Formats: sequence, structure tokens, C-alpha cells
Amino acid sequence: MSRLLPFALLAALAALPLALGTNPYLLNALIVTGILTIGAMSLNLLLGFTGQLSLGHIAFFGIGAYVSALTSLGFDVEIGFGYRVVHEPWPAAVGFLLAVVAAGLSGYLIGRLSFRVRGAYFVLVTISFAEVVRLVALNWVELTQGPLALTNIPAITLGLPGLGTWTLRTKLQNYYLVLGVGTLCWLVVASLVGSRFGRAMRGLKENESLALSVGINATRTLTVAAVISAAMAGAAGSLYAHYLRIIDPDVFLFSTTVSMVIMVVAGGKGTLMGPVIGGLIFGLLPVALRPVMAPEAQWIVYGLVLIVILFVMPRGIVPGLAALLARRSARAVPVLEASPEVQR
Amino acid sequence: MEQLIQHLVNTLILGGTYALLGIGLTLIFGIMNVVNFTHGALYTVGAYLTYLAVAALGLDLFLALPVAILGGLLLGALIEVVLLRPLRGQDIDTTMLVMIGAGIVLQSGTLWIFGGVAKAVPSPFPEAPLQIGPASVSWLRLFVLGAALLLIGLTYALINRTKLGLAMRAAFQDSDTAALMGVNVRVIYTATFAMGSALAAAAGALLGPVYVVHPQMGGLAELKAFAIVILGGLGNVTGAAIGGFILALAEELGAGYISSGYRDAMGFLIIIAVLLYKPTGLFAKAERVG
Amino acid sequence: MPGRFTLTTAILLALATTGARADTIRIGVNEPLTGAFAASGTYVVNGARIAADEINARGGVLGKKLELVVEDNKSNPTEAAAVAEKLITSDKTPVLMGAWGSSLTLAVMPKLMDYEVPMLVETSSSGKITTSGNPFVFRISPPSALEAETFAPMVSKLGMKKVDFLVLNNDFGRGAATDFGKMLKEKGVQIGLTEIMDQGAQDMSAQLAKLKGSDSDTIMITSAVDQLVLLFKQMSALGLKKRVITTGGSQNPDQIIAQAGSAADGTMHLTTFLPWLPEKTPDPKATETFIAEWKKRGFQFAGVTESFRGYDGIRAIAHAIEKAGKAEPAAITKAFWSVDFTGLNGPIRFAKSGPAGKESGQSKPDVYLIEIKDGRVVVPTL
Repeated sequence: MSRLLPFALLAALAALPLALGTNPYLLNALIVTGILTIGAMSLNLLLGFTGQLSLGHIAFFGIGAYVSALTSLGFDVEIGFGYRVVHEPWPAAVGFLLAVVAAGLSGYLIGRLSFRVRGAYFVLVTISFAEVVRLVALNWVELTQGPLALTNIPAITLGLPGLGTWTLRTKLQNYYLVLGVGTLCWLVVASLVGSRFGRAMRGLKENESLALSVGINATRTLTVAAVISAAMAGAAGSLYAHYLRIIDPDVFLFSTTVSMVIMVVAGGKGTLMGPVIGGLIFGLLPVALRPVMAPEAQWIVYGLVLIVILFVMPRGIVPGLAALLARRSARAVPVLEASPEVQR
Repeated sequence: MEQLIQHLVNTLILGGTYALLGIGLTLIFGIMNVVNFTHGALYTVGAYLTYLAVAALGLDLFLALPVAILGGLLLGALIEVVLLRPLRGQDIDTTMLVMIGAGIVLQSGTLWIFGGVAKAVPSPFPEAPLQIGPASVSWLRLFVLGAALLLIGLTYALINRTKLGLAMRAAFQDSDTAALMGVNVRVIYTATFAMGSALAAAAGALLGPVYVVHPQMGGLAELKAFAIVILGGLGNVTGAAIGGFILALAEELGAGYISSGYRDAMGFLIIIAVLLYKPTGLFAKAERVG
Repeated sequence: MPGRFTLTTAILLALATTGARADTIRIGVNEPLTGAFAASGTYVVNGARIAADEINARGGVLGKKLELVVEDNKSNPTEAAAVAEKLITSDKTPVLMGAWGSSLTLAVMPKLMDYEVPMLVETSSSGKITTSGNPFVFRISPPSALEAETFAPMVSKLGMKKVDFLVLNNDFGRGAATDFGKMLKEKGVQIGLTEIMDQGAQDMSAQLAKLKGSDSDTIMITSAVDQLVLLFKQMSALGLKKRVITTGGSQNPDQIIAQAGSAADGTMHLTTFLPWLPEKTPDPKATETFIAEWKKRGFQFAGVTESFRGYDGIRAIAHAIEKAGKAEPAAITKAFWSVDFTGLNGPIRFAKSGPAGKESGQSKPDVYLIEIKDGRVVVPTL
């Protein structure tokens, strides 16, 4: 049954707009939630499968957003000694690709830099990195417009030679674009986890010294994971920039990283389904709370829900529910021992 | 030159409160292995308690400070008993996220109760500054520096000169062995968290009258506390104290001579530089926790 | 699992589909009620409520009552855009007011284009808002260029020779430094340092130490009230005694006097409303009624310098709906151009601004220079 679950969820999500009709507000909430969920999936690759908690993940998301926006808007900056770099606007789809590449590259740099440390140090280095990137975006006004924000970012245009072009302006188009990119990211993570590389990652998470003794190159494995994770976050950032059509340095806010971490951990880190379920719940929770209570109270409930989930299901909702189901079926059929198959 | 002297005087004043902020955080991490994301919220609570004591109870500032510190102590103990004790043995990520959740609740709670308009705590000190050569400094801030240094001194004495401190150091070294030797580790953890929280509340209570009291005030303070702690080496109390002064110096000189826009980036740039050069903090070799 | 998901969706749908009722005219209000600008956004909303109640007490507009649909944008641009979407599509409001900060308003603006719904901008100061070719934007607050232009005649009277800037690191602050700097240069005034401070920064002593060492006679400061209180306290602690003029209209002098005490003495402020001297405002009777109602509701007097914009904003919208003759977006957009009445800070009528063919509306409010003297607000004689 659990094998069919992703397909069922995908089908449900694909059919959702039909059920919703054309309620743009809910579609908008779903699109933004979808983009954050892609961010959460990318974070899960690091946090869930290698055990490294990056609290600077928003940096890759923001770098993706800015690279993509600047590629499609063009810029003209002085880089010192009187030299200027002038860039004419390119199509947004190229921006998307460059965003993935640039975020991946910064993932490589940060990986090389910060995998020298582990645990709480790693957490704090990644926070610092994100803050520095935010402050650069805020202060390098000539390139990023600083706090004045980059506005009028074009929507993504998809084109096939000979078949004409297609500009994704409507909510529905963006919804399916996000769903498509999300599915792609899912497939990347799923195939990685199932591969030899995935076993190396999990080996490092379970027991680093043992993994090292069997010849796994820790820094290399972690760096590759960081590159892929950052590239996916960059893709999410690009989608965000072209959907919202305005970005300012607030895309680097620490609270967005916290939201993504909450999605991963509450959903179930180290599971494929966890970030998606966590993303949907915590992405849509504010939407559900908005009409029923005062704004400050909404935040309090958000915090309390997080605490309660961690207390009731410390490993997250997906593993928690799976264990619950397994226990139930074990009780129904007492002869059946709780074997690993059932757990899965 | 005159500007430089003023920057150095500012560093001293600012560094004292930064050190106070860092010590509470590093203590909790060192002994309990918990990254305390309620630190900023407790700082805010401390400031509001001072405001309440002065505005509602009519106490003067010197009496309001102990009230705020006591409040921080009790709230910290409550958080530890309700949220952290049941999670003992869970991994560091889980406790960190629970702390993030508690931080959100505390911060939104202050906004809900007190509203978003900043409050001012009146100061009993004269408005005219003290003139030291070309530099000037306010009496209130001198008092804050003195009180911060006093609290740091008391923390040191508690860790190094008391039985509780001995037990804390034992728990830091090896909690299992400490438990076998009759140390009640549960009590030690509650005491540690309460103490760290009281220090955060004290920092807020001291800085409330210097700045204004606002529900968002803890956010920036928390990020700075992280920078200070990592600078000094996680769990290293002496390191945090020195880290506070280093951060203050970097911010003053950075804003004064490089660019004020990057003032708040200084702390983070230092962290990255330190970790490139010495990944476990500047003072990792020094004796930890006292 | 899919079962759980459809349950969530069902709840969401049930909560979101609260259609418009026919007997009221809904106005969407998109303001920061939590986050960094919570205090200011709440003031604006309270002012807006007074206006709506007042209009409804007189029988409403077109025979229908006004109903404000207030939503919190959490001081966050993404949320501001989402909120606009909700107000337009789900609550079916034909006109909006918002969104306080410039980055919040800029984030909402593409939505106005998408749905062709007009918005009255009550607070934002960025020049971009009315120059980017969005014909659905009507602004009653002055952009900093307009504020600088109004201030220009006072420059020589004040005897300014060299000016330093200390501004917030956002569009509000940096925009003010650029626009005032340009105006001052034209007036032959030298520009010295431009120092930046982060929003939410509490200790500016490093920047102030630098300003203390400069040879300028005036410091122009652009920030909101909480930071100004801190600045004045820290300036006095550093013994920094220069002429200070603040800009931006979010200064709230009463809060400054109450919280900064004598440290604020002698500071000057450019403001768009004179609640301390109602007799000097363009419509003294309206000012007095508004302030009386504000106090009656138990709000702090200090809030009126912020909340009057919400009050005037809703009144302007009501005028537009009245002129449109029906509560529909296209008719209201068109009717905004013929709004003409005296607001609390001068005439509200919209002039065209921005690229031809798709101009935004910009009203030109009065700008006043006030001084804090012995804990009171006075108008300096120049």
C-alpha cells in the first residue's frame, strides 16, 4: 500500500484544481506551499538522509531567486577598477537553469567550508552564511536594488523549437509547473536514496566512524549531497521569484528556514513522504487559521502544534502513523510478528 | 583619534551586555547539549518584566531588576520541566525544534499581551553624559556595564565555588558517571536551564531601559548571542565572555571605518573566518564551563 | 493519507468560501498587524474603522453600509501579495487599502494589474510605487521626492550649510537620502556622510560616533518612531549636539517626547499632520472630531499621526465609490480621478504620475515642520 501512496498523492494533487474550481486564493496558497515544500524536500536530503541540520538553507533558495530574477531582468554593475559588467535580459527559463547551477555551486562552496565541523557548529555556520548573503543582497544596491526590491520579474516562458512558446502567467499554469518541478525533485531524491550513494549517506548518519572505516569519503559524500540539495532549493527560489514577480532581501529571512525545517521534521525526516505531508500541513495551517483567530494567536497555535507533534510523534507524522498502522495490524493478526516488512 | 576613542568606549559598554547574553546560551549548550532557541524570547520577557515592575508596581529600577531575574529563573525552570525533561535522550534536532516552537509561542504571546507599540522604561540616572576626555558615556550604560560584570562574576563564582557548580561541572564532563556518583542530574539540568534563562532575562532587563521594550527585540539579540557563543567555542563560558567583547569591537570598527550597512554582518563574517581558521571556536582549548 | 488530505482541503474550502453579502460594500484592508510594523499597521486599521463607523452612522455609501475586511500581512511581502489575492478573489472586495510599507505595497501591485482592482496606498513612500506604470494605484501619502520639494523653501531659512544623513536601510530610508540629497545639492547645500542603520537595530552608537566627528551642521534622519527614540537617547549620551531634522511622517512626536524625554528637545520633524494644533490643519472641525473619537475609543493619542492616514484613506475610498455610483472595481478606478475633498492633511485629489497611458494617482498632502521644545510640539518661526 505504501508503494502506491506517492502515486495516489500525485494524482490527488493533480486533480485538486478540478475540485477547487478556480479559487485563486486557495490556488495561490497551494503554489506557495508547493514551492516551500520543494525547499523542504531539498532540506530533507541533508537533514534527513545525512543528518546534517542546515539552518541556512534559505540562502540557496534566495540565491536561486536572485540569480533567476537578475538573469531575466538584466543588470549593469561596476565591479571595481572602472570595469562594468552589463547583462542584457535573457529568457526566464534560462534564469531557472542558471539559478539551479548557481545555487548548486554555492552549495559546493558551503559544503567544502562547513563540513569541517559537525553538530551545533554546523548549524551555526549555516545560519551565519545565510545572514551574510542576506546582508549582501540588502547592501549591494547597484546589483540587487537592495531594499528597493527587484520588481516586474517576468513569468517563466516555456518554448519548444517549432512548437511556439508558452508563458506561464495564470495560477493554474504555475500550479502545474510547481507540481512538475516538485515531482522531478521527488524522483531525484528517491533515486539517490535508493542508490549506492544513498547507502553511503545513511551510513554516515548512522555511524560516521564505521562508515569511514569501510572506505566512505565523508566530505565528498556530504558535499555532493549539499550540492544537489542546494540546487533543488535554488530551483524552488527561481519558481518563487517568477511566480511572485517581486523579490527583496526578505526572501532570506531566518523564519522561512524555520518553516522548512518544521515541515521536514514534523512530516518525518529521512522519509520520502515526510516533507511533502509536513509541507502541506504547515503550509496550509496559516490559511486555515486565518479566518478563525487573531493574527498573534495564529502564531501561538503554530508554535504549539509544532511542540505537540514533536511530543506525540518525535520522529514525525509519517513514521509515526506508519508505526501506528503497523501496531494496529499486528494486534489484528496476533500471529504476525512486527517484522521489518510491516514497519516499512 | 577622538572618534576612535569613542568607538573603544562604546565597545566596552556594548561588550559587557553581549557577554552576558552569550554566557547564558553557552552554559545551557555546554551542560545540556540543547541549542536554546528561546533565548531571545526570554530576553524579551526579562525586559517586559522590568517594564511591568516599574510601570505597574511602581518599583524603581534597582528593585525591578531582581524581579525580572527571578521571573526568568522561574520561567526557565518551567520550560525545562515541561518541555525538556520528557525529551531527555532525544536527539539535539528534536529539542532544538521544540525550543523553536516555544520561542514562537513566547514571542507571539508578548505581542498579544502587550501589543506592538514599544514601551520605555524610565531611567533613574541623570540625562547628561559623563565626559571622559573626548569620549562621553551615559550613566545608565555605565550602571548596566557594572551590573553585567557583577552578574558574570556571580555566575563564575557559582560554577567554581559552590556544590551546585561542582555538580554542574561533573554533569558537563560525563552525566552518566555523575549520576552514578550520586549527583541528581535531573535537578542539575533544571537548575542549569533556569540559570541560563535568568541570565537572558537579566540582559533584557538591563537593556530594556537603555533601548525600548518591544516584542521583536529578542530576534536580533538571539542571533548575536549565537555569534558570540560560536566565537568563544560552544559551551565555553570564558570564551563567551571574551567573544562578547570581540563582537562589540568588530561591530564598532566595522560601522565606523568600513560601512555601517554591514555592521550586523560583522559577527557572522567573524564566525566564518574563525571556523575556517579554527573550526571549534577561538578558545576551544581553554577549560570549559568555568 | 489521502483521506487526511481531502479533509484538510474540505476545511479550507469551507473556511474560504464566505461570499460577499449584498447589503454591504466591502473594502479590503491589507495591513501589518504582526511582525516588525505591527504597531503602525494596527493604528492605521483603527483609524480606518473610525472612518467606516462615521460614514455608516450617516447612512453609508449608496444606501449601503461599508464593511472593512481587515487582513494581516505579517509585515512580509509574500504574505501581503497573498492577502491581496484573498481579499480580491475570495472576499470579493472591489477596492483595497494598504499595505503600509513600500515593499509590502510593491508586492501587492502586480495583483492589482492581474485583477484590475484599485488600491488606495495610505503610507508607503517609495517613488517606484507611482512611477512604474500601474494605473490601479492611488496614493495619499507623499513620496520622499514630494516631501523634499515641499521642504525646499525652508532650507535657506534654517541656514543649512552641510548635511549628513542617517537613514534606515530600506527603500524608505535610502529613498529619502537620495531625494533630499538631490534637492539640497540644488539649493547649494553640501552633502557629507550617509550612514545606514538596519531596521530593528537597537544600538546605533557606532554610526553616531562617526557623525559626531563630522563637520556638518545638520543631521537628517529617516526612520520610524521606535528607532528615533533610541537615536535621541544615544545622541544625548554621546554628547552629539547638532540640528536634527527627521523625515518620513512616521515619527509620532508624542511618543518621542514621552519616551526620549529631554533628549528629544530641539529636534525638528517633517510631518504630514498637525494633531497638536487642530486650528492650523486644513479642516479643523474634522481633525477635532477625529481626535475626540480616537480618545473616546481609548487609543493612545500618540497613534493619531499614523492612524489619520487610515481614516483619510477610507474616506477617499468612500468618495470614490459614491462618485462611481456602484461598487465595482472598474467604475471605482475611474472615479478615483474625480475625488476632491479636504482631508485631515490637505486636499485629496489625484494628479497623474508615471508613464503616459497608465498613470498612477498621487495626491499632494501638506508637509509641516515642527519642533519639540520643552516637551511640547511647536511650529518654529522661520
